[in-house]
Amino acid sequence: MSDRENSSEDLSLPKATVQKIVSEIIPSDLVFSRDARDALIECCVEFIGLISTQANDIAENETKKTIASEHVIKALQELGFSDYIEPIREVILEHKESQKGRERKIGKFEASGMTEEELLRKQEELFGLARSKLQHDEAL
Amino acid sequence: MSNVAEPAPEDRKLSAAAVQVRTRFPVARIKKIMQADDDIGKVAQATPLVVAKALELFMISLVQESCDQARLRNAKRVSPAHLKQAVLNTEQFDFLADTVSKYPDPVAVPGEKEPGPGRGRRRKTAE
Repeated sequence: MSDRENSSEDLSLPKATVQKIVSEIIPSDLVFSRDARDALIECCVEFIGLISTQANDIAENETKKTIASEHVIKALQELGFSDYIEPIREVILEHKESQKGRERKIGKFEASGMTEEELLRKQEELFGLARSKLQHDEAL
Repeated sequence: MSNVAEPAPEDRKLSAAAVQVRTRFPVARIKKIMQADDDIGKVAQATPLVVAKALELFMISLVQESCDQARLRNAKRVSPAHLKQAVLNTEQFDFLADTVSKYPDPVAVPGEKEPGPGRGRRRKTAE
């Protein structure tokens, strides 16, 4: 189907992960057969394709080149999965929060409004002042 | 330790919300699966995360419906046939009709007619 390095056979969900998730869902008296697990994986890959295609169409209709979370949300709505939207909005919020934390670390530099050169000059200036103050204090 | 209660069918929505899945899908793999389709171009950073969450919810739903089908037939092992019936019974899963057509048909439930699309039984429609 594609000429990529990974054949479409490799592009599936990891069986062990799926099995783990299944065991978190099913009641303790039931067991998922191996065939059922593989069938489930097939369905999951179909689901990803369905959502991706729909979200992609929505993004294209908005002449956006990148598929964003909002496009996925609209896709879910159009495909009859509106009940998934609320938990997904929480995921988006958590993601934004973690992004904010990262940006704060580099914020100081950008917030200073000065170029690196100007900042270096300023630093030298302050060192000079501190040095002369020190010498003055020593002289006393 | 299991977070899953044994719900009656009426409590389906409650139990779906109560299930807490701790294991995460590999987000990078999801992105790869998305982009295996040549039509799909760039995706924003949050997008595979969002799709992963949707997938988790989808899985919970499909697995639970499949378990119901197994129980109806007094089976202890959930098989592809049970998955098939779950798909055929749930409007939300119509897109899987082709995918499941190759799975074997489940046995009939005692007292019911032949298995097959049974829309009347359990509709899961979007609210």
